[in-house]
This record gives sequence, C-alpha cells and structure tokens, in this order.
Amino acid sequence: MGGSGDILGNRLEARAKDGLVRFPCGACPSVAGRYEEIGSELREKIAKMFGRSLAIREVDAGSCNGCEIEISALNNPVYDIERFGIRFVSSPRHADVLLVTGPVSRNMEAALRRTYEAIPSPKIVVAVGACAADGGIFGDTYATAGGVGRVVPADVYIPGCPPRPELLLQGLLLAINRLRQEPGGRGQASSGLARS
Amino acid sequence: MNRQGLEGYAGGMEARFPGRIRRVGYNHNEIHFHLEDPRDAPGICGHVHASMKARLATVVCTDERRHGNGFVIRYVFEKEGEDAFIFIIVPLGHGNSFPSIILHVPGASLYEREIRDMFGLVPAGNPDTRPLVLHEHWPGDAYPLRKDFRLGTKAGRREGVYPFLRVEGDGICEIPVGPVHAGIIEPGHFRFSVLGENIINLETRLFYAHKGIEKLAESMAPEEIVRLAERISGDESVANSTAYCQAVEKILEIRVPERAKKIRTVFAELERAYNHVGTLGGMATDAGFAFGAARMGILKERLMSLNEALCGSRILFGVNRIGGVVPDIGQENKELILGRIGVILRDFDKVAGLLGSKSSFMDRLKDAGRIPKKAARDLGIVGVAARCAGIDLDTRRDHPYAGYNIRNGRTPQEVVRDQIEMEKRAGDAMARYEIRINEVRDSFGIILGLLDLDGDGLCGEVPERMEPYQSALGYAESHRGQTLHWVMTGEDNSIFRYKVRTASFCNWQIMGHCVSSDIVPDFPLVNKSLDLSYSGNDL
Ligand code: SF4
Repeated sequence: MGGSGDILGNRLEARAKDGLVRFPCGACPSVAGRYEEIGSELREKIAKMFGRSLAIREVDAGSCNGCEIEISALNNPVYDIERFGIRFVSSPRHADVLLVTGPVSRNMEAALRRTYEAIPSPKIVVAVGACAADGGIFGDTYATAGGVGRVVPADVYIPGCPPRPELLLQGLLLAINRLRQEPGGRGQASSGLARS
Repeated sequence: MNRQGLEGYAGGMEARFPGRIRRVGYNHNEIHFHLEDPRDAPGICGHVHASMKARLATVVCTDERRHGNGFVIRYVFEKEGEDAFIFIIVPLGHGNSFPSIILHVPGASLYEREIRDMFGLVPAGNPDTRPLVLHEHWPGDAYPLRKDFRLGTKAGRREGVYPFLRVEGDGICEIPVGPVHAGIIEPGHFRFSVLGENIINLETRLFYAHKGIEKLAESMAPEEIVRLAERISGDESVANSTAYCQAVEKILEIRVPERAKKIRTVFAELERAYNHVGTLGGMATDAGFAFGAARMGILKERLMSLNEALCGSRILFGVNRIGGVVPDIGQENKELILGRIGVILRDFDKVAGLLGSKSSFMDRLKDAGRIPKKAARDLGIVGVAARCAGIDLDTRRDHPYAGYNIRNGRTPQEVVRDQIEMEKRAGDAMARYEIRINEVRDSFGIILGLLDLDGDGLCGEVPERMEPYQSALGYAESHRGQTLHWVMTGEDNSIFRYKVRTASFCNWQIMGHCVSSDIVPDFPLVNKSLDLSYSGNDL
C-alpha cells in the first residue's frame, strides 16, 4: 500500500501526537512553489501521449467540498490549468481521467460506478484527498465505502485535506507517468499501479 | 436575553396552556418547555410559531430509551428580534410515532422526514412519506441514529425507485439532472418538469453526500469533533467549528479570552469574504461573463492565500479549538492583513463597478429566481436568501457571539433606514448580488475593526471532565446564513448527540419556489446566486 500508505502514515503520525487528528493541509514541501515547473512537464507529456489534450471528469463522491474548492481553483486565472492542455469536461464519454473526491458515500456509489463505466478505456482514476484514500475523517461507516478504491479501481492517490493545487498537478503527472509504464504505451492503467 | 425576559415567556405559556407544561428549564438564552403529552405538541408549537413570532430553527430527536424517556423530540424556535431560543421538549415514551406539526409550522416537514429515516419514528399526519436521507436502496428496518445501531453497520441493498412528483399534461416533459453534474460541483439531483423552456415544477433531491456525520460524532472525542465540524462543509469550516465550539463552551462554562474571540471573528469574516467573492465570480460565469468571473477568481485566490499565510490552510481548517483558537495574529500578521485587505478592497471595488456597469450581466440577474417572502417566512429561510427577500435575520446581530458587536453599532436612525431598505428588496438574484457585494465590504470593515487585539490568551481553561447529559445550542452566521449546532454530552467525556442544522438545510427548500417563473437556462445562475452547500445539507 505504498501510495495510500503515505497518507495513512501521515495521519497516524499526527494522531499519535496528542490524540487529535490533525490532517496535513496539503502543505507538502516538495511541491510548494513548483506549479509552473510541474505544469510544463505535464504539458510536454500530454502533448506526446494524448495528442495535446487531457480531459478530466470530476466526481464528488461525498466530499466535504474542500477538495472541490482546490480543484476549481485550478481553473482560475492564477493556476489556469488549461494552458497545460488539461480540461475539465462535462461528460464522462469525453474523459481520459476520472478525478474523484470524498469517501464515496453510499448514496453516491451507483453514480460513481456508472460514471466510471461510461468513460472509454484507457482511463485513469485519480483519488483526491484524505477521504478518497481511506475515508479520511469520515472513515468506513454505514454511510460511506471508506475510500474510492473500494468502489472503482484507483490508480493514484493524492494526499492532503485538501491537497493544494500544486499537489493536484503533481498527482496528475504521476498518473500519466504510471500509464506510460504500461507495456504498449497508452494502455489501460490497471488498478493498484500506484500502490504496488 | 436575560432570565427575567425568559421568565416572562414562561408565565405567558403557562397561562395559555394550563396543565400542559410539566416543567420549565433555563439555559443561558434558551428556555425549555417540557410537555406532558406529545399530542399537545402541534398546538403549542403552532402558538409559539404564529403568536410568539418565532421561527422554527431546528428539530432535534434523541434516543433516550436507556434512560427511560423513550425518544425525545425538541422543537427549537428562534424568537424574532430577541436573543432567545424557545425549546418545546416532547418525550415520546414508548411510542414509535409522533404527531406531525406541519399544519401549524410548515417548515417542519423536512425535519420530520429526517427523523423518520434516522430514528424510525413515524410523523403521523405528514403526507410526504418518501425517504429523505437514506435513499431507496436502504433497507426499511435500520435506523442509523438509534443507539443500538452500530456505526460500521453495512446494511444490505434493496431495489427501489424514488417517486418524484409527476407533472402531467400536453407538452410537459421532464429533465433529470445529476447527481453527477457538468461542472465541478457537489452531487444532487434536480428534476425539472418543463413546458417548452418554462419551469413548471422543480424537485430537488439531495443527501447524495450523506456521510453519517452526526452518528460519527458520537464515537469521537469532543476535541476531535472540532475537526469534523470543519468538514461538514469545507467552505464553512470556521462557521461550523465556531458553532460547535460555542455549544461545548456554553455547556462547560468556559471563559474564552477576548483575544481569542476577536481572532475567531476575524477568521469567520475572512471566510465569509472569500466565499462571497467566489459566489460573485460564479454568478458572472453562469451569466456568461467570463472576464468578470476571472477578475473575481483572482481576488478569491488572493484571499485564500491570505488565509494560508495566517493559519496554514487555504480554506481555514484548523482555526478553532474548544475554548479558543489555534493561530494567533501577531504584529506581523496584523500588518499583513491591513496591507492585503487594503489592496484587495480597492480591486474589489473596481471589479464590482465593472460588473455593475455591464447591462448584459445585470439584466440576467433582474427578476431571476425571485424568492416569495411568505414562503421564505413559512419555511424558515435564513441568511442572504432571507435578507434578499426583506426578512432581516442575521445571527451575528440577533445572538451576538465571539467578537461581534453589531447591534450596538446601529443608531435608531440606522435601524429605521435598514428596515426601509429591507422592504425594498425584491428577492431576486439581483438582490442577492447586491447584498453579497455589500457584505464583502462589511466583512473587510469588521476585520479591520477587530485588529486592535489586546490580552494574550488564545484559549480559556477547559475542564478535564464533562458532566454527562448537559446540552446547549451553538450558532454562527456563515456566508450562507445561520448554522445551528445542538450538543448533548454523554458519559465518559463523550458526545451523546450532535445535531447539526446548517443554513443550506433551511434554504434548499426555497429552490423549487423561486424558479417557478424562470426558464431552464436561468437555473444555474439562480442556483449559484443562492450558493447552497450539498455536503452541509446532507451531513
Ligand atoms: S480530504 Fe479533506 S478537504 Fe477533501 S473532502 Fe475530505 S475532508 Fe474535505
């Protein structure tokens, strides 16, 4: 569980301190201030692998909307993710990437599954935030599935509560890098790649 | 409100309903009427609502079967224009049903349906028997908020179809939208019945994001719940955690230092400001004015980076704790706030001027999504949605908390002027736009006025142990309106019941009413202008 272990490790460590759950607010030092750099790398890769444009379908599967604030921020003129060739699309049929937030509430399970199925292969699933990794603070309860991986095969987990824009970009980079490692290039990213 | 004033209510009620009230209790600004017989509830609630002019603020159900009370329902009313909350407390004994009060208090319907889903109690007389929180796949015999229901239960699934209201007639069709939407927004389902482009009926189906927050809280330590409260709705983190902390502080009689109160208020206003700015930008987007949206987007980003500089989180997580706040605002940060807000306010005025000068934008807002005042009153709408229809509600002024001192700031002339202003409000998206513009400026003003921080305490003394079965109401005004949290302590420093009612829960009800003379393409704009949270509603 390397990928999600990271996040879990973070949380457990924080929990031990004083019995309080302190979620890392996505202030991950390795990416701070590196937005442009990560973006250009991403743009190059997208140009090569996806014919210049990567389409993302976002699904809120019961998040607190904190992650949505940061994902929407990618579209503001400061981050302006479209200049790297990345676009949020309104139909799953147009998407390469499924970006999912939230612990997957029971009431969203069917909708998430159907959105996943509607995306043409090859597709990449990116789980955003502590909730999407393992349920986060909402855990695994009568009302939640306890993480995106329990419902659809997640390829990459982006830690943070919520992850800041740089980290989201880094996660996308990681996701398409994983895809390239697949034999045959643009193949279906199989579940568990990021976790192995 | 002081004890004397509350005792006045008690006298009035006992005279009006002799022998029906078993006991009267007091708790700060709350007065509790314990009823003898559940069958008296509709009449008494109706009296409080209509004659005493009190808004139904929330309805709390608790499972006290282990204590011999059976299920207990608390109807909480907020007295208009007074700092007082009136509780009508109804123990149901061994019964599994309770009389619906919706004929007397129309706004109670959703609460009653919620209680049926979560506790399995039947509101006798409520005609809407459809599930609310637990969707049709939920088995009929599992009730999450009962004490004998385990948090981790994975209930089976069953097949079912939700019966939407059908509108039939020549040329009427249905447009289903969601729960997965076209943009980056939260999940919810809208069912439009349309004739051509005109909306004949809109039904909103929510609770897709239901995460079991209230049940979860019963398994968490009180200080952990602060973090949970922040995540009720990520963009309302300060308001919700403030309301929760204040409820606990009220129970434990914690004295929060003045400095901490002011800092709490500064962050609360920063939150209100960045969200209002975001909503204004969203309205520009939905009206097709990309340039205005981009300018607002930049301002929101700058406010969020100010948030981060002050507390480490771009959306203000981690600000509150029971007894006070976590981050201090030292000299350096004070100057940072002064400097940045000065610049942001200047730019904000420019952008507001830009939006206001574009008739193609302003024309879209005019008359769109008009909220009928009567419906808003009946349903207990709060916040900007109420204020835009001329209902003057603001928790910051009506129930002063933290560092707010708004009422004292108004002269009688100003009060009259405000009343006249209120009467003029049309309840449409334009009114909401104007209110938001003004509230952003007000927020900046409040922040700047609070920066003379004195004293040095960030946190009051928090007792080690909590007395079990004490309760209190905490509240705050988020950018959406009043958020109300009722907390009851349990044994071994636990929380027995945590009932959350955010502004979104109240305000979603008005959606169907306010689009009834609009066309479908106006809906996104109207929805954005109301700016409601799904997560905060669904819990
Ligand atoms: S990870 Fe944090 S910010 Fe994101 S949805 Fe979960 S609680 Fe909200």
